[in-house]
Amino acid sequence: MFDNTSMNISASGLAANQLWLNVIANNIANVNTTRTPQGGPYRAEIVNFSPVENDVSFQTALGQAVQGVGGGVEVTSITQDTSPFQLIYDPSNPDAVNGYVETSNVNLTTQMVDLIQATRAYQANATAFDAAKQMAVTALGIGK
Amino acid sequence: MTVFELLQSALDASTLRQAVYANNIANAGTPGYKRQDVAFETLLQSALGSGTSGALGEAQIPIGEEEPKYDLSTLPNIVPQVYTDTSTTVNSNGNNVDITEEMVLMAENQVRYDTLVQDISDRLDRLRTAIMGS
Repeated sequence: MFDNTSMNISASGLAANQLWLNVIANNIANVNTTRTPQGGPYRAEIVNFSPVENDVSFQTALGQAVQGVGGGVEVTSITQDTSPFQLIYDPSNPDAVNGYVETSNVNLTTQMVDLIQATRAYQANATAFDAAKQMAVTALGIGK
Repeated sequence: MTVFELLQSALDASTLRQAVYANNIANAGTPGYKRQDVAFETLLQSALGSGTSGALGEAQIPIGEEEPKYDLSTLPNIVPQVYTDTSTTVNSNGNNVDITEEMVLMAENQVRYDTLVQDISDRLDRLRTAIMGS
């Protein structure tokens, strides 16, 4: 009558959005980074989500007659933003070329918008988790 | 199918719905994801045969006429079915999840679940009263 599929799904959403929040924090922290170990300024990182497909072997056996529920969400990759770096006039900087310094391509506006989005998504998943928990508690009360 | 079996399959449908809505919410930002939903009440109603006014759960108390009798014993086992919903608007990344709608549906499903549990508990209480007396 009750399984913890819902809670696992919501947990995957919480984890994915937590990771996204970490990447955003890292991007914002490196907004002025001009030199990285890989060489060149810091490149903004982008998180890519994809749905988790459940094990469909049982459904396949049934000839796909019954459609199953997905297994939540996961971060499949973190890619680098290839947009051009920002040029800042700062002749005193040791990395300056002709008085200009190349600095990260982190766009603070984009990061702030993403930050709000990730926070809201995290909250929604937490609410879904709570709903599933409440249902389980209710079911435990049957016959009492 | 007994009333308890019917209530149990309704609870199963509600549990499945919670998982489906949780998955929709988790994938609210996933490019190309299409929302899923669960068909149950419509399947149940067609199994019961639509002879009454209004949808299931909307039936009004008939005055001066016989209440429609549903024969549950002949009711087949109704399995809730997950389907992909393509009727709603798709946004620029191919995703059609509206998070507000999902939250509303999830809250509604939670209340439905609580109601079903309450119904089962009440029926068990009545049984207990009948067995134990008082």
